[in-house]
Amino acid sequence: MKKMMITAMTLAVLALAATAFAHTPLCDCFDNGDGTVSCEGGFSDGSSASGVKMYVKDGSGKVLQEGAMNADSEFNFKKPEGSYTVLFDAGEGHAVEINGADIVE
Amino acid sequence: MKKGIFAAFALVAVLAMAIPASAHFMMVYTPEIAMDKGGDMDFRMVFTHPAEAGHTMNMGGVNEFYVLSQRGDAKAKKTDLMPYVKEIKWTNPASSNTAYSAMLPKKVVRSMGDYTFVFVPGYYFEEEEGIYMQQITKLIANVGGIPGNWADPVGLPCEIVPLIKPYGVWTGNVFKAQVLSNGKPVAGAEVEVEFMNHMPDMTKNAMPAKGSVEYPHDSMVTQTIFTDSEGYITFGIPKAGWWGFAALGVGPDTEYKGKELSQDAVIWVKAVDMK
Repeated sequence: MKKMMITAMTLAVLALAATAFAHTPLCDCFDNGDGTVSCEGGFSDGSSASGVKMYVKDGSGKVLQEGAMNADSEFNFKKPEGSYTVLFDAGEGHAVEINGADIVE
Repeated sequence: MKKGIFAAFALVAVLAMAIPASAHFMMVYTPEIAMDKGGDMDFRMVFTHPAEAGHTMNMGGVNEFYVLSQRGDAKAKKTDLMPYVKEIKWTNPASSNTAYSAMLPKKVVRSMGDYTFVFVPGYYFEEEEGIYMQQITKLIANVGGIPGNWADPVGLPCEIVPLIKPYGVWTGNVFKAQVLSNGKPVAGAEVEVEFMNHMPDMTKNAMPAKGSVEYPHDSMVTQTIFTDSEGYITFGIPKAGWWGFAALGVGPDTEYKGKELSQDAVIWVKAVDMK
């Protein structure tokens, strides 16, 4: 019974957390023209994306680089050769994938 | 004799028509303030009467033009825009005068977040009244939908601080803002409101003679509201397009070159239809 209570409480907390997370993830990247790419992220309610996981993958989906958004909600990486994608991963339903071909100066 | 009387009458008529004329407005214009992605931004700064494409005045040069950009919790970044300011000639149907343009390159407006543009003109001398005017103007834009510093006071001598996202206004929304002088709310300040009825032509540097709205009465050209005891204004926006708000004589400076000065605060917002 106690266990059930705890489970219910946990679910309630998760549900609340999900509500607090009811905003749109936003991410944009641009080519710095020096072999590096800068990405910026955030949420439509203005909350920070600091700590959000970032992945750079090649054309076959293999992870080439990974990291996280810094305190300014920014992530910089070395531009890979060939086609690539960038994934801003703030959890289920809060991910943004950007095609490297759309990342311009 | 008859001719003299007629001329006098004509003069009186012209003067009478001139009196209910629209308000002076420091126009800081760029076609779009809610952008999906950063890019070049083309600006025109004109001291005129946008509700009637009226008289265009010499604003006395540009003292400052800069932008404060911010996203989320990041710190606001200040970028001086004076290197991009160029003198142009602006032409309205009945007058033309010196104005300014600024083509901002993509590198200035590349990041996501808010951009609070601040334009501080020089001083315009209104001969008929023997007073100087200076309208310190704000325009707030956004890239990518992440909000930033739109609701933060800039710390100007006088300014209008919005309480509703100024680049995310629907037609029919209520525009609410607070009028500050030296950072303190101004109670009972007169705020003039005008609709940009004659859309600026960016290639001709001109306003067309034809507007989109007909005024049923002179009193409708410039709408007037007053701030409440806490310095707040509220204004329902009835039509999509650009709306300018000018809080008159609220600035701390009241004299320039030994003459009376009206230091005003202006803000522009854009409303869009819900479709």
